[in-house]
Amino acid sequence: MTASQKLLVRKTIAHAFMICFLILILVPFVMVVSASFRQGNFAPSRFIPDKVSLDHWRYVFGIPYQEVVNPATGETRLIKPTTPPLFWFWNSIKVSFIASTGIILLSGSAAYAFARLQFRFRAITLNSLLILQMFPMVLSLVAFYVILDFLGQYFQWTGLNTHAGLIMVYLGGISNYIWMIKGYFETIPPSMEESARIDGASQFQTFTRILIPISLPIFAVVFILSFISYMSEYPVASVVLQSGDNWTLAVGANSFLYEQEKLWGRFAALAVLSGVPITVVFLMCQRFVIGGLTSGGVKE
Amino acid sequence: MSEGAVDIKNLVKTYVDDRGRPTFTAVKNISLHIEDGEFMVLVGPSGCGKSTTLRMVAGLEKISSGTISIGGRVVNELEPKDRGIAMVFQNYALYPHMTIFNNMAFGLQLAKKTKEFISESVGRTSKALGLDHMLERKPHALSGGQRQRVALGRAIVRSPKVFLFDEPLSNLDAKMRVQMRSEISKLHAQLGSTMIYVTHDQVEAMTMGDRICVMRDGNIMQVADPLTLYRQPDNLFVAGFIGSPPMNLLKGKVQKRDGSLVFVEGAEKNGLTLPLQGRLETLASKYVDKDIVFGVRPEHLADQVKDSAHIPVVSTVEISEPMGSESLVYLKAGTGNMIARIHGEHLYHLGEQVTIQVNLDKVSLFDAATENVIR
Repeated sequence: MTASQKLLVRKTIAHAFMICFLILILVPFVMVVSASFRQGNFAPSRFIPDKVSLDHWRYVFGIPYQEVVNPATGETRLIKPTTPPLFWFWNSIKVSFIASTGIILLSGSAAYAFARLQFRFRAITLNSLLILQMFPMVLSLVAFYVILDFLGQYFQWTGLNTHAGLIMVYLGGISNYIWMIKGYFETIPPSMEESARIDGASQFQTFTRILIPISLPIFAVVFILSFISYMSEYPVASVVLQSGDNWTLAVGANSFLYEQEKLWGRFAALAVLSGVPITVVFLMCQRFVIGGLTSGGVKE
Repeated sequence: MSEGAVDIKNLVKTYVDDRGRPTFTAVKNISLHIEDGEFMVLVGPSGCGKSTTLRMVAGLEKISSGTISIGGRVVNELEPKDRGIAMVFQNYALYPHMTIFNNMAFGLQLAKKTKEFISESVGRTSKALGLDHMLERKPHALSGGQRQRVALGRAIVRSPKVFLFDEPLSNLDAKMRVQMRSEISKLHAQLGSTMIYVTHDQVEAMTMGDRICVMRDGNIMQVADPLTLYRQPDNLFVAGFIGSPPMNLLKGKVQKRDGSLVFVEGAEKNGLTLPLQGRLETLASKYVDKDIVFGVRPEHLADQVKDSAHIPVVSTVEISEPMGSESLVYLKAGTGNMIARIHGEHLYHLGEQVTIQVNLDKVSLFDAATENVIR
């Protein structure tokens, strides 16, 4: 075999592998999309529906429509959602956006302290954060419930069944983000900040005008990651939020899956919809997530 | 006019850990006076405390004890920006997200100077440094030398009384380093400001400094102008550190033979024996039967007899490095090794027997116990 033939074989194998991988990822997605356009609420069927129906999408957007109850007689009934699912969609975006912004503010400033300041118990605090993050949030579900219940007695706006309460719980999950951002800060040479100090910048100015602009990539990554995780977070939201008009998308979507009747069609439509804000956020943040933003400032 | 004079008195820097326990003393009670307009080089091996000293002058490190005054004013508790200093870092420390203009203007903007003033002074400085056509670029689009020039410019626009350089050239390639070296020297001549320059490179120290401060393990070993440092090292460390190749240092004893003093190298029987005449005899008279170190610069070993101060030594060539106009010859004489810098285009061969003439006038003797020069 000549070198070019070898290369061809290698290329073919690599491409075959990648195509298999793509299929593995795309098939479930296509199945969900197809389920959302199918008539009736059945999970398994053909990829391309026999009859394309927009019923589920109408439902999701809160548009009333006639559903065929008995195909034999052609009997229909008017379907109109009590809480339009779009409302849940908005709740999700609101909660995820505020929580992610809060996460960035909290973990960014905490990471700065851990990366740059000297104080007592620094190492211990850092390590306990690392250990704490190993326990999933669900484990403390009961505690969250009790705390929010208690808080709600004094501050109604942040008790159970409020978005503020949910956001507060979400803000607790910053420890791994602190570690991430701290790791990034530590790759930025301290001389950059020292230089700013000599130029007359205060510690706060150094943080906001030097460190934050340089660290945009990691902030973008943290924002995307937390946004995605909160858009699809179910366990905590399902416990904290009780009334239908407060639900987030994940809780709302799950409400379609009754024990007796699983409405896969509506669930699928909602699932596809939930991908939209995630994609938008990703595209917006993508331009910040470019390597080499620090390149050129210093030479190692 | 002494507003740029820097006075360091009994300066100590001890690092402490999280709980305030002392871990390491980097600077051990040093005192140093730097005149207004002087170019002072702090030189020494890594970990000798030279950078720490500079950073304390800059205000980036807290002073453990002692005082630093700039222009007669004690600056121990002053913020870096209020000390009238500017610093150039080894890694340039430019702000990567800002244009060259903003990099240079940042300090002036923070000081709330007017827009006209900023653009005027940045414009003038960038023109002088040949950066005026790249003010809108960002640091990553510049070469190493240009970046270091931006860092220089950023220091200049602050119009400081004292410039601080922390190994500014060690990230540049050899050619650029030589060029920037002369540019900084020119800058010093133009501005006439005090400059404190930290380097581990003794060539930079020798070529740039008005005076050089040699440091080791947090102590000052000697402060002097380059030639004094070269000709009259105070101690073994300075003798070995300054000069390339370094001074030949032979360990041995002073002995009395036939009424006159001789230096006997090593403890072995076949060690080199050198007579100590004239000046050296007086110096060595107190050291009979004591350990001393005999130091002679490579260029003071000649291949021809010049005058009576030259003493012949038979030696064997181990390596020869012809450099064109001169050769560096690594010799084995007695049990010791010596390097000779011999002028002329003579080629030396491995194993060749050479009679080398040692110029006793230029020899330094050191006390082996204290490592100080014998005066």
